[in-house]
Amino acid sequence: MGPLIPNGVIPIEWDNIIAILIGIVFGFVLEASGFSSSRKLAGVFYGYDFAVLKVFFTAAVVAVIGVYYMDYLGYLDITQLYVHPLYLWGAIIGGIIMGVGFVAGGFCPGTSLCAVAIGKIDAIVYVGGIMVGIFIFSELYPLFLPIYDGYFYGNVTLEDSLGINPYWFVFIFSMIAIAAFVVSDMVRKKVKKIFY
Amino acid sequence: MVKKKIAKVLAFRYKILAAILILLAGGLVLLPKYQKHEGIKPEELLSNTISPERYMTTDRLAHILINQDPSFILIDVRDEKSFASYTLPNAINIPLQKLFDEGSVSYLNQNQYDVVLFSNDNFYADQAWILCNRLGYKHLRVLKGGINEWFTTIINPVKPAENMSASDFELYTTRKAASMFFGVVYPEQVKAETPKVVKVAPKKVITIEKKKKAPAEGGC
Repeated sequence: MGPLIPNGVIPIEWDNIIAILIGIVFGFVLEASGFSSSRKLAGVFYGYDFAVLKVFFTAAVVAVIGVYYMDYLGYLDITQLYVHPLYLWGAIIGGIIMGVGFVAGGFCPGTSLCAVAIGKIDAIVYVGGIMVGIFIFSELYPLFLPIYDGYFYGNVTLEDSLGINPYWFVFIFSMIAIAAFVVSDMVRKKVKKIFY
Repeated sequence: MVKKKIAKVLAFRYKILAAILILLAGGLVLLPKYQKHEGIKPEELLSNTISPERYMTTDRLAHILINQDPSFILIDVRDEKSFASYTLPNAINIPLQKLFDEGSVSYLNQNQYDVVLFSNDNFYADQAWILCNRLGYKHLRVLKGGINEWFTTIINPVKPAENMSASDFELYTTRKAASMFFGVVYPEQVKAETPKVVKVAPKKVITIEKKKKAPAEGGC
């Protein structure tokens, strides 16, 4: 039956409308749970607030378990799902830059836009920085092209590249998530509380 | 009292959630695995198989070949030896054993062309069709009766008896003409050469007469 759009259950013309609706809900939830505060986001790195880690880890675990159960029950064909292509060094370098930006600015690109929407000045500056970065990247595109385009490994998953049983991987991943939650809670108790 | 009890339970809420997570993830590992059904649903395959649309008649194929329709690919599913001895014009040889080889799938699993599968009879072609259809390949047809039928209808059409209907005679003449296209020569074709010349002569006379009429009309 699923995925709904590729199998024609929902016509493909609804793509953008659904995207807008999901975007609105996502933005609302992000803001409502305080993710538009750079202090909350930076808290992961300083150890006084692990909400970001918990939220994203929980989301990933719930989604992956749900997807595999639906695949097992035949509601969703997992092979039809989009797998993001892997450009190895592009991903590593991009990840480092994004991480530095995250800890320095206190936003990830999504939450920064959310914070702009509620009028935070630091977020406006941050988004300005993103734009400058995009401009520089576009201007130097031919220079970055070998990394941007190279080291391509196809649309691989861990299942393909490491040859692990996906069910065991989901189980181990959930264990890691729970361990991360416990450890982060312990760290948070030790770190001096900060009011923000 | 009730509030206190709820508070007691809620103190463990994260542990309960973690336990649920472990349970669900563990369930995924412990669930009995089963072979997933590949390709289209059995009911769909059955309805596709019953449908007469999957067959193409030899007359239709002859029509396509004579008109040199570029939207068709002919695929011969017999072995290389039979393919080398005789096949239909412009056919590609994909023996049944090599149906899902790397090179052949690109012919079968595509959306550009209509593919006509054939073998000596339609037996092997049907097998190939079922295998491909089950995997969800589209635009596949089977030549009804295969090359044998091709021979008895197109290459060597049976002359209808005198008491048969006019449509049979029409079909026969079309088939005969088609066979001539594919290189068959009939004895009457050779014999008919001399009377043909005689026939041509009066035709010429008629055209001359028309020409005579034409300027007279123009003058008015």
